[in-house]
Amino acid sequence: MLTKRQNLMEVIKGGTPDRFVNQYEFMELIMEAPMDLPLAPAPGTRVKNKWGITFDWPADQIGSFPMHDEEHKALKDITDWKNQVKAPSVFYTDEEWAAAEAHAKSVDRNDKFVTAFCAPGIFEMTHHLMSMEDALMALYEEPEAMKELIDYVVEYELAYAAEVIKHIHPDALFHHDDWGSQISSFISPQMFNEFIVPAYKQVYGFWKANGVELIIHHSDSYAANLVPFMIEMGIDIWQGVMTTNNVPELIKKYGEKITFMGDIDSGRVDFPGWTREKIYEDTKKACEECGKLYFIPCLSQGLNISSFPGVYEATSDVIDQLSKEMF
Amino acid sequence: MSKIEEVKAKVEAGKSKLVPGLVQEALDEGSAPAEVLQAMVESMGVVGDKFSAGEIFVPEMLIAAKAMSKGVEVLKPLMAGDGSTSLGTCVIGTVAGDLHDIGKNLVSMMIESAGFDMVDLGVDVPADTFVQAVKDNTNVKIVACSGLLTTTMPALKEAVATVKAAFPDVKVIVGGAPVTPEYAAEVGADGYAPDAGSAAVKARELATA
Repeated sequence: MLTKRQNLMEVIKGGTPDRFVNQYEFMELIMEAPMDLPLAPAPGTRVKNKWGITFDWPADQIGSFPMHDEEHKALKDITDWKNQVKAPSVFYTDEEWAAAEAHAKSVDRNDKFVTAFCAPGIFEMTHHLMSMEDALMALYEEPEAMKELIDYVVEYELAYAAEVIKHIHPDALFHHDDWGSQISSFISPQMFNEFIVPAYKQVYGFWKANGVELIIHHSDSYAANLVPFMIEMGIDIWQGVMTTNNVPELIKKYGEKITFMGDIDSGRVDFPGWTREKIYEDTKKACEECGKLYFIPCLSQGLNISSFPGVYEATSDVIDQLSKEMF
Repeated sequence: MSKIEEVKAKVEAGKSKLVPGLVQEALDEGSAPAEVLQAMVESMGVVGDKFSAGEIFVPEMLIAAKAMSKGVEVLKPLMAGDGSTSLGTCVIGTVAGDLHDIGKNLVSMMIESAGFDMVDLGVDVPADTFVQAVKDNTNVKIVACSGLLTTTMPALKEAVATVKAAFPDVKVIVGGAPVTPEYAAEVGADGYAPDAGSAAVKARELATA
């Protein structure tokens, strides 16, 4: 039986896996690494992060949102971003790194990839700072300022990457940046190529030049029109790919260059009245249509969790069952 | 190209700095304010159709709507009290328990560009608040309810039922990622739209039926 890591490599290289890669099993995410997550910590809390972005998680909701009313918007005028945006320090004490280092050391790297985690993404950072509407309009109205802001975020990401690499020597990177809605990309492929691709070529190029073997990018959205750019950026696995992308077609077209992880829409199966039968139905369809190579069945959720207790575990259990049925 | 044609072209291209001047020039040439407004509404119809067809994306729609609103600012003083150019009032909001506002804002912008007066209730709107807004505003023709989460679909259903029970003649349209035409029909909505461009078309269709 192949290790989780070996089996993953067989899938993404078009070899002979002995089972489905089961969701996030190949990644050992080092979430203890000190970082500035774009989240309020729990329902009923509100925090201002080190970039000055306020995140609110109302008690009755399933997640937190950046706040963009006039009082809370961190960047009010893109042309004045140099005065209004200040990246936090990427340096943390040895004590702050200790838990992450210990976790990374404990991992059997023959079995799993020690995986660094980064969120938010570069595009997300622009709209967290200034709101989606302002950020998207600024791409047209103030393109030079937007490019400068993106370069600034890239500098921060590169500096943070250097610290992560120094402390935990990751084999893989799991990086978030949502690039679309359920049915379309937020921006056109041309605009994506102009603003976003150069930024990620730098960032992902840096991780890969420093020992990272695998780049997994999360965007739980439609983004089929951006796949050629994902390949150009160096993404090995697109996690979060939703069914609206026609994943079997993408695999046929691009599978030898990029692997697709998802095709089980969390929105369809992860809700209070969830059932194993429904998960089985969606997962079986995904596995049958997408096949055994260049595909990892996974919830579209951007971490190895679910919004409602038990859904992630039930999905893993179903994938194990399907491996037995189909391999 | 006539000035009014130029206004149309520049709204579609999202040239918000040029549109106010062109609107003024069209008026100076003798075009009626209502005629200029109609030209811009038609441009936004084209923008909505292109968005629905996947030919343009959110930024293009946003800058076109901004260009139109700059043009409307020039027309407003000339059209004050002229209700004949409005298709009526549309009350819009994201339903209770749901904080997603981006999609709802885009829909609001496009429905406004189609010629409605908008009352935007924001996010996390209880069913009764939709009803109160219909009571508090004049000439409400459309209530637009958005829901982005599977968990808030019951709230969407409740919003539709509550509004229809209180105001059977007001048309209710629904949308959001988990909403399907079948679900819209099941909960008793008068219309469904899969995206912002289609929502404007559907609102106009229902208000003028």
